[in-house]
Amino acid sequence: MEPADMTSHGDDALSSRTGAPGGDDRLSEDRSLLQQRLAVRELLDTEVSYLHVLQLCASDIRSRLQQLPQGDLDVLFSNIDDIIKVNSRLLHDLQETASREEEQVQLIGNTFLEFQEELEQVYKVYCASYEQALLLVETYRKEPELQREIQGIIEAVLPQAGPSGLSFLLVIPLQRITKYPLLLQKILENTLPDASAYAVLQRATSALQDVVTNINEYKRRKEVASKYTKVEPLSLRERLARINTHTLSKKTTRLSQLLKQEAGLVPRTEDKEFDDLEEKFHWVSLCVTELKSNVAAYLDNLEAFLRFRPQDYNLEIPGGPVVQYCYLARDLQLQAFPEFKQQLEAQVWQPLCSLAKALAGPQNLIKKRLDKLLDFERVEEKLLEVGSMTYEEEAARHTYQALNSLLVAELPQFNQLAMRWLSQILCAFVTLQRDLAKQVLQRAEDSLAQLPHHHLSEPAFRKLVEDALGQTSHQLHAFQENFEKVLPPPTTQPLLPGAERQVQALLSRYGPGKLYQVTSNISGAGTLDLTLPRGHIVALLQNKDTKGNSSRWLVDTGGHRGYVPAGKLEVYHVVPTEEELRGQARPHKDSQHQTPEPTSAPVPSVPTVTQVVAVYPFVARSSHEVSLQAGQRVTVLEAHDKKGNPEWSLVEVNGQRGYVPSSFLARAPSPAPWGWSLPS
Amino acid sequence: MSRIPFKIGQPKKQIVPKTVERDFEREYGKLQQLEEQTKRLQKDMRKSTDADLAMSKSAVKISLDLLSNPLCEQDQDFLNMVTALDTAMKRMDAFNQEKVNQIQKTVIEPLKKFGSVFPSLNMAVKRREQALQDYRRLQAKVEKYEEKEKTGPVLAKLHQAREELRPVRDDFEAKNKQLLDEMPRFYNSRLDYFQPSFESLIRAQVVYYSEMHKIFGDLTQQLDQPGCPDEQRERENEARLSELRALSIVADD
Repeated sequence: MEPADMTSHGDDALSSRTGAPGGDDRLSEDRSLLQQRLAVRELLDTEVSYLHVLQLCASDIRSRLQQLPQGDLDVLFSNIDDIIKVNSRLLHDLQETASREEEQVQLIGNTFLEFQEELEQVYKVYCASYEQALLLVETYRKEPELQREIQGIIEAVLPQAGPSGLSFLLVIPLQRITKYPLLLQKILENTLPDASAYAVLQRATSALQDVVTNINEYKRRKEVASKYTKVEPLSLRERLARINTHTLSKKTTRLSQLLKQEAGLVPRTEDKEFDDLEEKFHWVSLCVTELKSNVAAYLDNLEAFLRFRPQDYNLEIPGGPVVQYCYLARDLQLQAFPEFKQQLEAQVWQPLCSLAKALAGPQNLIKKRLDKLLDFERVEEKLLEVGSMTYEEEAARHTYQALNSLLVAELPQFNQLAMRWLSQILCAFVTLQRDLAKQVLQRAEDSLAQLPHHHLSEPAFRKLVEDALGQTSHQLHAFQENFEKVLPPPTTQPLLPGAERQVQALLSRYGPGKLYQVTSNISGAGTLDLTLPRGHIVALLQNKDTKGNSSRWLVDTGGHRGYVPAGKLEVYHVVPTEEELRGQARPHKDSQHQTPEPTSAPVPSVPTVTQVVAVYPFVARSSHEVSLQAGQRVTVLEAHDKKGNPEWSLVEVNGQRGYVPSSFLARAPSPAPWGWSLPS
Repeated sequence: MSRIPFKIGQPKKQIVPKTVERDFEREYGKLQQLEEQTKRLQKDMRKSTDADLAMSKSAVKISLDLLSNPLCEQDQDFLNMVTALDTAMKRMDAFNQEKVNQIQKTVIEPLKKFGSVFPSLNMAVKRREQALQDYRRLQAKVEKYEEKEKTGPVLAKLHQAREELRPVRDDFEAKNKQLLDEMPRFYNSRLDYFQPSFESLIRAQVVYYSEMHKIFGDLTQQLDQPGCPDEQRERENEARLSELRALSIVADD
């Protein structure tokens, strides 16, 4: 950057006219003092006019450049307001020193030392955006109409800007900051080395030089960084377009270099310092990405937890703890938890996302650095072999060095800042948990206070609940039993018309004594097992299976034969149909119901006297038979007739004796109380 | 036969008074509603506790992963913080498990038990219905014979039919009465049944969140970070981000 000399040339001419070279000491001393004073005045005067120009730019010119968008103005003028602030204070302090003539130079030195940091900070920013500002100026220049307007505005305010107008103005701060070391140097040259001011001034001069160096370095880094940090989302076509022979050769040479390194053919440029930094950065990245995904999982689970609302169900319970709970749960779900979730997202999740995103830049740079390193090593090799390198190769070397120094300088800061932020985020997480607990606890304790047993200690309450639940469990069990006692209808279930025919068929084949009714649904498991609905009538074939298992009976359903569990069968008493009744009135040759033939000779029979009950009414048709009424108790004298036919029994009822069909009698001595016991 | 006035097999006389039927339906209806609500409540409570456990587990994972990062070996402060966090998370997880166990025992199990009565009830209602059908059918049969000309065979059949009807009618009446008695009792039992469960539920929350408040309160103090209001924290985060962005190596976006 070439400093534009805005000082008048008069002073120089003056200094060259007075005093012949090689004058006596006192004269040179006086001359030095004069020069010094002039230099000081130059410093102050130029500062005044500098500040004045700045202010004109910032206020008058900027405000009149209305045809430019605000974004452009921000880039062009950057942080000129901050510069004005700093420089105003600087000027003020410098002007104050004028009152203390003796120590003025020293005070000036001190002032600059004080302002060193601020100047660097504020000019750094301006310089960094200067390049972009120039680009904008170029674009304006291409539009003649716009250019004319801009020029007109500038000339109206600052005629000395000349034809280059905007670019002339924008470079002024850069020129100024580089001028400070020169101005101070001029004062220093004319200061006696043993003066107390000298040391201070010397320090100030070198300080300002450092400022300029730093600003330049900062600018360069920004340029390098902006070139490599961006991960541009390229489309496939764009990616393909980027691959040309140049990049391809670059990649292959890098790969071969890496391979050579790995094979030990080429010494790897060991940089312990960098490796340590990179390792730490790697761990920091790992920490951030893991934490981010864990927090995401936590938030997902929180969301799932909030999805379920047990308080929404209505058990029609008007008061008490149930209602208390519903209020509490609703309150928590509408307020406490959503607030917690929101705060988590804002104070933990969002920062983590930003932190994770920030990792991308350094990651890319580290990768690029390695690439360039491989290039660099190859270049070094070539240098050894050939003795020279191309311009491109030289550029690779510079880029690697720039990247390396950039990373070495900034990675430690990055790591430190990232760690600091991580710690803060974790603390936020913890604090939010505490706050949530407080919120929930407040509300829950309010609910608790209204509960009947709130005065009880927790162990006492738990015992109480256990006992209560045990009791109610019994009660429930009782209810369940009661409901289950509602038995199926009694075994003497009237048949559906279709079944009657089937029963008749079975009856005619097997006889009434062999008929059983299914008392509850049977589902057969094996191939020989039957599946039968409740109420079905079957005839017994065998009261045990082939293995001798007497709880498994072989039956005939009239269509199929198979096994059924004996426990689900009850003896079936046939309700005699019309035909049967008629059939019993007259003898059938083939009817199994033979009328008993009275014989005079008593047939010896084993007297089996039992009390039975007549289940069905029976009308006696002959003098050998006796009538029965349903439910009547009868005494069985003989369980068969004179011919030994067990289908007729000799009974005594109401003082009368006679024969009745055996199947009309219930085997059980007293009618089983079908039904259930009413709950006590 | 264009119009059949009565369904075949259906009695003409209304054997069950309308009021009785209405009462029965009302009571049963309430219980059916209750059944559904308790079923869904039980399912939802279980899902809620599962999600609760999952949340706690993922919190533990946060500190576990942090602890396993090599940064802990290098940075003592970080190690201290992460260790303290890990301890807190593990303790909270234990308390959470305890809370869930208590809820399981005093809320979910009882809900299940309550629900298990309903199948028996429904079966009993079915049987009553079955009995009612049988009753209707036999009643119709009796009525059929009653309408016929009173001949000998007809009388015999009528008598027979009446004999068949009697036990079935008694059966139905008994079933009906039993259910009409039991159903309201069962329905009302819910009041006493559920109150302890929900009381327990509230208390379990109090116990858990008291611990949580204490543990995280202590941890906050230990980490030496005062609780700052939300806006301040937002500014802090903005500041941290700007610091990072100020570095050249961090990409601007």
